[in-house]
Amino acid sequence: MSEAALEVRHLEKRFAADARFVGRRSYVHAVDDVSFMLRPGTITALVGESGSGKSTVARLLARLYAPTAGSVIYRGKDVARDKSRRSVLRYRSQVQMIFQDPFGSLNPVKTIRHHLERPLRIHGIVERDEVEDRVHELLRTVGLVPPGHVADKYPHELSGGQRQRVAIARTLAVEPVVLLADEPTSMLDVSIRIGILNLMLKLKEERDIAFLYVTHDLASARYLADDILVMYAGQIVEQGPIEQVLADPLHPYTKLLLSAAADPEAGVETKRIEVRKGLASAAVDPPDGCRFVGRCPLAIDVCSRVTPALVEAHPGQAARCHVTAPASAGIAAVPSTS
Amino acid sequence: MTEVIEPMPAAPAIPAPGVPIIELRQLAVEYGAGDRSVRAVDGVDLAVHAGEVVGLAGESGCGKSTVANAIMQILRPPARIAGGSILFRGEDLVDKGREELRRYRWRNVAMVFQSAMSSLNPVMRVGDQFVDMMRAHEPVSRNAALARAEELLGVVGIDRRRVRAFPHELSGGMRQRVIIAMALALEPQLLIMDEPTTALDVVVQREILQQVQDLQREFGFAILFITHDLSLLIEFADRIAIMYAGEIVETAPSARLQASPRHPYTRGLMESFPPLTGPLRRLVGIPGAPPDLSAVPPGCRFHPRCPLCVPEQPVMFARQTTERPVLRELEPGHFVACHAAGAST
Amino acid sequence: MSQLLPTPIDLPQAVELAPLGVRVDRRRRRFVPGWLRLLLGNPKGRIGILMIVGMVVLGLIAPLLASRSSAVDFSLLDARQAPSWHHLFGTTDQGVDVFAQVVWGARRSLLLGAAAGALATVIATILGVFAAYVGGIVDDLVNLVTNVFFVIPTIPLLIDITAFLHTRGMLVMILVIAATLWAFEARILRAQALTLKNRDFIAASRVAGESTRRIVFGELMPNMVSRIAAAFVLVFYVAILVDAGLEFLGLGAMDKPSWGVALYWATVNSSMLQGEWWSFVFPGLAIGVTVLALTLILAGIDEVSNPRLRATRVRRHLARRALGRAV
Repeated sequence: MSEAALEVRHLEKRFAADARFVGRRSYVHAVDDVSFMLRPGTITALVGESGSGKSTVARLLARLYAPTAGSVIYRGKDVARDKSRRSVLRYRSQVQMIFQDPFGSLNPVKTIRHHLERPLRIHGIVERDEVEDRVHELLRTVGLVPPGHVADKYPHELSGGQRQRVAIARTLAVEPVVLLADEPTSMLDVSIRIGILNLMLKLKEERDIAFLYVTHDLASARYLADDILVMYAGQIVEQGPIEQVLADPLHPYTKLLLSAAADPEAGVETKRIEVRKGLASAAVDPPDGCRFVGRCPLAIDVCSRVTPALVEAHPGQAARCHVTAPASAGIAAVPSTS
Repeated sequence: MTEVIEPMPAAPAIPAPGVPIIELRQLAVEYGAGDRSVRAVDGVDLAVHAGEVVGLAGESGCGKSTVANAIMQILRPPARIAGGSILFRGEDLVDKGREELRRYRWRNVAMVFQSAMSSLNPVMRVGDQFVDMMRAHEPVSRNAALARAEELLGVVGIDRRRVRAFPHELSGGMRQRVIIAMALALEPQLLIMDEPTTALDVVVQREILQQVQDLQREFGFAILFITHDLSLLIEFADRIAIMYAGEIVETAPSARLQASPRHPYTRGLMESFPPLTGPLRRLVGIPGAPPDLSAVPPGCRFHPRCPLCVPEQPVMFARQTTERPVLRELEPGHFVACHAAGAST
Repeated sequence: MSQLLPTPIDLPQAVELAPLGVRVDRRRRRFVPGWLRLLLGNPKGRIGILMIVGMVVLGLIAPLLASRSSAVDFSLLDARQAPSWHHLFGTTDQGVDVFAQVVWGARRSLLLGAAAGALATVIATILGVFAAYVGGIVDDLVNLVTNVFFVIPTIPLLIDITAFLHTRGMLVMILVIAATLWAFEARILRAQALTLKNRDFIAASRVAGESTRRIVFGELMPNMVSRIAAAFVLVFYVAILVDAGLEFLGLGAMDKPSWGVALYWATVNSSMLQGEWWSFVFPGLAIGVTVLALTLILAGIDEVSNPRLRATRVRRHLARRALGRAV
């Protein structure tokens, strides 16, 4: 196993659920005890439904939010609480993020050139007189030609797919080690999604970038990723090599997600799924116990009392479930919080 | 309900006989007028028969939502019907007066919009919105309408007591169910669903679709299901029509379309959805982007992106770039608008 | 720091930050041609600029056109004359030459409007936008202050201050008008900044490593140019009206010619009832033309600051086709 490009341990983010100044405030536990590592040349998919906290994880790693607790380990150092401009800049020159909405992530009054030039200048990537050449090179890398022509455009003059390519080019300007991609294709037309996914695959292979691919789409996660993290209500409920997890999911929630996904190969025979009502979103002041317990067909007595730990029940594959991955079955994948 | 309809078999190879509920003939819709007009829908033929689930798939801007709005007769200027006809049970809607159209909407054809979840009035109780809607169409008492509302909520799997709820007290999925219940209130013969579940999570989406399918089998209404998600349609629809740049390029029963798509655009779309099971290979998708409708390519609109359109075959190339293909029936029930499709199999 | 060095790409934005020509300070002078060319290239902006330049020139050459005394001093012998070659715009009941009132009044009214507008806009922009972006306690505090100022009525405050200070100077008026009107602007600008700050392009700039200052002034503000300019025009307009209102209450500087004074006299003399249309039509027109000119410039700024409106259909069209195969 190669060295981690970026690692998070027991990451936690709470948002105040009310604006009370006196007494006990309640908090939404958007991200709760999340630990994983991203490795160079590997795409890790972070899969979950809306509100599960998956985008919050990406934004925490992009340092757009400060974590409530836990550490972000980059080059052997915990950077989560180092807010000096120098340290933040160094981090930003290595860890970049691709946003979901290419219509919102580019400044409408700035040219494409501006978007690509700024990171080059901020981080002093190239000499001043080489900036233009580098801008062209970046545009060519993401398949936008002729670059001189594209650079003068404003975002609204490009299609969604072209804009997303510009957004990717911008992240590449700093020659990043880690790329966080937050549902980069969900706002795009179907016929151009594959192009963006293929571009990410190419970057992974050619530049050895460590990707975090945040998505709700299991099929594209399988297409792209090597590893998978399944998130439910702020916690990682299952993790492991993606083929292994999808072929033999441990956690009942992973099974539910898998059965709900449309699969063109499965044919026209409609599969029926049985669902109990419940929400995948993070809860306000959640009680102890498994968060999936209300919807779980396998729930036993202990589930509503004790929060399950991530346990490596199969080699490399861990789940947070008292039934399918009981603590006796394997070793705790990560040391528990307390 | 005008007639009792047996549930359709999973995938009929041939459309059900008889007069279709809705039939579009060479429908054209334009936005704007004069030189600046844009044809969003250009010469669309489509029929939906009783009890049938028809899927209409395509990318954003291909005109699929415009088709739905035209059927509902809710096009607003600058959009207007520029040609063709919309037949409801054989009668052309173009001849109808405003009052007739008002009664036609919702009673005969109801629609669940893309933004349906936000189309509930936030300051009115769910039940009152039912009452308002029903009393706009039928002389029913408030209590009778409320009773019907409760019944319908039960049908879509929501606790009946929720008639007293305000929309914000319901989750996204529940609001979508409420909208579906409202659409079914007057027992329409056709339910149009325009991207009804795109904003919902996969699990909720699946639940709602299953419910709609159950209701459809029970009550026998027809569905026109509009989405960009072809893999969803293959499971859900009996028959699928694929739209590209304002035209229908292929229509076939779902199983057939999945087994042997004939139009290169359909094939490209299929190539755009990675499989969840089975072997993985590098997909290519479709190069380029859909055309700007104010400047559609001459000839076949797909030709700039088409792998079958190559200058190395000059005769075919000339045809593809100058002559507009029309839908041809390659096999029973399977229509394709492509010059090259018949030749290659 | 390298990221703060001005770069060529900054030119348009540095310029866009100055909503109107009136306000461009010396440091940015070398950039003026760029934005002016852009604005002059826009028909609305061009007409507006020509009109406002005309007004300013009229004010500047006032001594050549009419004597100052004829704009202020009563001359009962010349009273109530309709427009003629002698008195282009006629005279008032007091025999004041209306043309002289208008050209000399342009000086005071334009200066008052521009200065009050500029001051209020600068305060509003800095407090409103910056606070909205930074958020938290800073925003809460600024918001509190804004709300306090928001409810202070302009004219009563001016009455109090003029009564207290025994001065009717223009500087006091400018300060008071700016102090009472900035809050209104700040609320509008804050609201827009709040929606913009949550857009992903701001988050993307942070991830790229931009400093807070650059994000506010370089990324956020260029998206608000037309709103900022609109706020400026509004205060400009209100300042002229407040001036007129104070004159009406007899609290203004009656010995100094302004459009407000002219309208005051027209009202006092019930000129409308007496059919002396010229004594209120011409000063009113002057205000109207100025506001129209500013509105036209505003529309021009709106168009040139928004690349979507700037681009012609044809250009966009060709670009799409050219790029059609690229992706």
